[in-house]
Amino acid sequence: MKRRTILKTLPALTLLPAALKVTIVEADEHKAAASKAAGAASKKVELPDYAGKLGYSDGSVTNPDGSTQRGFKDRSSKSQNADPKAPYQMPLTEEELGILKGSKGPEMAKIMAIVVAHGNAFGAEGLVDLGGAPHCSLYTGTDYMKPMIDLFQECADAGLKTYAPYTVNPRCYDVYNVNNNETDMRLIYEGYRYQRDLDWVHAQLGAPDLNYRSCACYVDEVGNAPPPGTYVAWAESSAINYGNSAMGLRTNRNAGGMELLCGLLGKAPLFGLMTDEGRMADWVVEVKTSKAPDLGVLGTAIGLKVIDGVPFITGMEQYLGTEVSNDNMHLLKKMGSATAASGAVGLYHVENLTPDAKQKGRKLIKKDHQTYVYDDAEEARVLGNFPTKMEGRPENPTVALIGCPHNTYKEILMWGKRVTEAMEKRGLKTTAIPTKLFCANVVRDHLVKDEPLLVGKMTEANMRFTNMCTVSYGSMKGFSERIYGVTNSPKTRNYSPWVRYLPDDDIVEVILTGKIPKNA
Amino acid sequence: MAKKTFKGRPLLAGNLDGQALASTQPLNTTGSYLENLFAGRTDSAPCTDANNKAFYKKDLSGAIICTTTTVGSSLGGAALMGVGSLGVGPKALLFSEHVDSVSLAGVLMDDVWNERRVITIDQLGDEFLETVKSGDPISIHEDGTVVVG
Repeated sequence: MKRRTILKTLPALTLLPAALKVTIVEADEHKAAASKAAGAASKKVELPDYAGKLGYSDGSVTNPDGSTQRGFKDRSSKSQNADPKAPYQMPLTEEELGILKGSKGPEMAKIMAIVVAHGNAFGAEGLVDLGGAPHCSLYTGTDYMKPMIDLFQECADAGLKTYAPYTVNPRCYDVYNVNNNETDMRLIYEGYRYQRDLDWVHAQLGAPDLNYRSCACYVDEVGNAPPPGTYVAWAESSAINYGNSAMGLRTNRNAGGMELLCGLLGKAPLFGLMTDEGRMADWVVEVKTSKAPDLGVLGTAIGLKVIDGVPFITGMEQYLGTEVSNDNMHLLKKMGSATAASGAVGLYHVENLTPDAKQKGRKLIKKDHQTYVYDDAEEARVLGNFPTKMEGRPENPTVALIGCPHNTYKEILMWGKRVTEAMEKRGLKTTAIPTKLFCANVVRDHLVKDEPLLVGKMTEANMRFTNMCTVSYGSMKGFSERIYGVTNSPKTRNYSPWVRYLPDDDIVEVILTGKIPKNA
Repeated sequence: MAKKTFKGRPLLAGNLDGQALASTQPLNTTGSYLENLFAGRTDSAPCTDANNKAFYKKDLSGAIICTTTTVGSSLGGAALMGVGSLGVGPKALLFSEHVDSVSLAGVLMDDVWNERRVITIDQLGDEFLETVKSGDPISIHEDGTVVVG
C-alpha cells in the first residue's frame, strides 16, 4: 500500500471528526474543590476490600511512597515536529481518510478517529497494517467496565469483527474448579456482574471459546504466535513483554480497550516499541552471579532499575541457551513478566538469544546507555526486600499458586511430576496443602491426553487446574484474607504482597509438609 | 496573585474557567476513583489514592486536575470512562509532563464515542505545577494556553 503524505500542509485538526475538533466547554460553576471535598468526606460509602488493589494492578508505576515512576509514556517515540507542543497530524492514506470520513460506517469512523488521535499524541509516523492476531486484556466484568463493554457491544451490533480471531486474558474467576463455595460465588456474582456481557462481546467480535482464554496466548495450544517482526497491538503486560522480547513482535504497551480498537481497525499507530529506534536498549544488565540466578528476582530487579527502559541482558547464555523454544519459554516468561510487573518493561533483549539481539547484537545498545551489574550481592539485596512475614494470615501456608503468567505444558508436566514423585518417595497418600495450577484449558487438555496417569496422581495430590487469572484470584475478597499463599510467580508476588514467593524446591516442600522450610 | 500564563499542547481542546485542584504527584486513574468504580457512588468522587497526599479525599468530580501525569493499571482508560458515565469525571486534565497513553486512550474513547469531553492539555512544564495551587483560579483556552491567577 502506497502511503501518501498529503497532510503536511493542512491544519492538523481539520481531518478529525467534529468530536475531536475544538469545542467550547461551558464555563465551570466555580465550585470550590475544597468545599466539595468536605461534603464528600462526610458520606460513608462501603468499599469492597478488593477494590483497594486496583491502583496497583497491571502496569502500576507508582512507588509505595507515592513518587512517580514513568510508564506508558511516550518513551522511544520520536516527535515528528520541531516543536513538540505543536499539533501534529500523522500522514494517512486515502483509504484511511475514507474510513475516517465514514466509508466503512460510523462506528469504524469513530474507531479510526480515536486511533489516529492517540497516535498523533505520540508523534506516530503513520498507521501500519497489523498481522498475526490481536491479544486483548479486557477480562473483568466489573461495574466500571460497563461503558467500555457498551462501546464494544455497539461495534458488535454494527457487525464489526477483528482482523483475525483474537485471544483474550483469562477470566477473573473459575466457578468449576476453585470458586465453588457460597462466599466466593456471592462475591463473583456481585463483583463481576457484567462478566456475561463482556464474554458475549468477545464472542461476537471474534474471540474463540473460553477454553483458549490465557495471558500466555503464545503457547502452542492457544496458538497466538505470529512470526518475528509482525506488527500487532496487544494488551496485557506479560504478553506484550514476551511477544516483543522472545518472539520479536512489534507492539506498544496498549491501554485496555485500545488494543481491541486497533484489532477492529486492523491498524495501529507506528511509534515507540514498534520502531527500530524505540527498540534500542538504554540499559545493559550484566548478570555476574556465581550460579544460575533466580529469574524471578532478576526480573524484579531489572524492572525496579530500568522502569520502562529497554534492557540488554548479558551473561545469561549458560542458563537460557541460544534458542528460544518450548524448553526455555517458561524461564523467559518468568523473568520478563517480573520486569513488567515491578517496572513497566515492554521489551528486553537477551544477548545471543532473543530475536532482535541475535540479529543485531550489541548494535542494539544505545551509546549513552546505563549499566546495571547484577551479582550475588545484588540478588541477595533484592530478595531481602521481598516480604516474608504475612501479617494477619494463617501461621502456615494454606495454598500453592503456581503459574502467573499462565503455565506452559512443560510447567504443568514438571510440577505434576515433581510433587507426585516427591509424595511417593516419602510414602505420602496426599499433600499437606492444595496446589492450583493456572493454565488455559487447552493446555490442561494436552496433559490429560498425553499423561493421563500422571493427571490421576495429581488429582490425588490435590493439584487442580484452573483457567482463571492468578492475580485476580490472589486478590479476591473473601478469599485473599483467609489464605497464606506461596507462589513461584514474581508477578503474583508483586501484585499480591501477601503471597510469598519461593524457589521451586521450597514450594514442593511446602506442598508436602504445609510448612515453610527453615532455610527459606 | 499575579496572573501567570503557560502554554501546553491541547490534546482535547476547550475553553474553561474554574478552580484548580493541584498535586505534584501523579494521578492514579484507577486507584483514585474506587468508591465510584466499585461502590457506585455518584454524588461526588473523593480521591481514594492515599499515595497522593494532595488529592487524597478531595473531590475529583468536575475538577480541573493539575498534575504531572497519570499512572496506574492499564485499565485506567476504562476507569476514566467509568467515572465519566457516572457524572463524576474530571472537567479537565492539565499535565506538566507528556500525557500517559493509558489515560489518553480513555478520554479519547469517551470523547469520540460518547461525546463526553475532558479537556486535556499536556507538556505545560514543571513551572506550571510549581505555580498552581489547589483553589487557584484557572482559565483554560482552546489553543492550550492556561492562565493561573
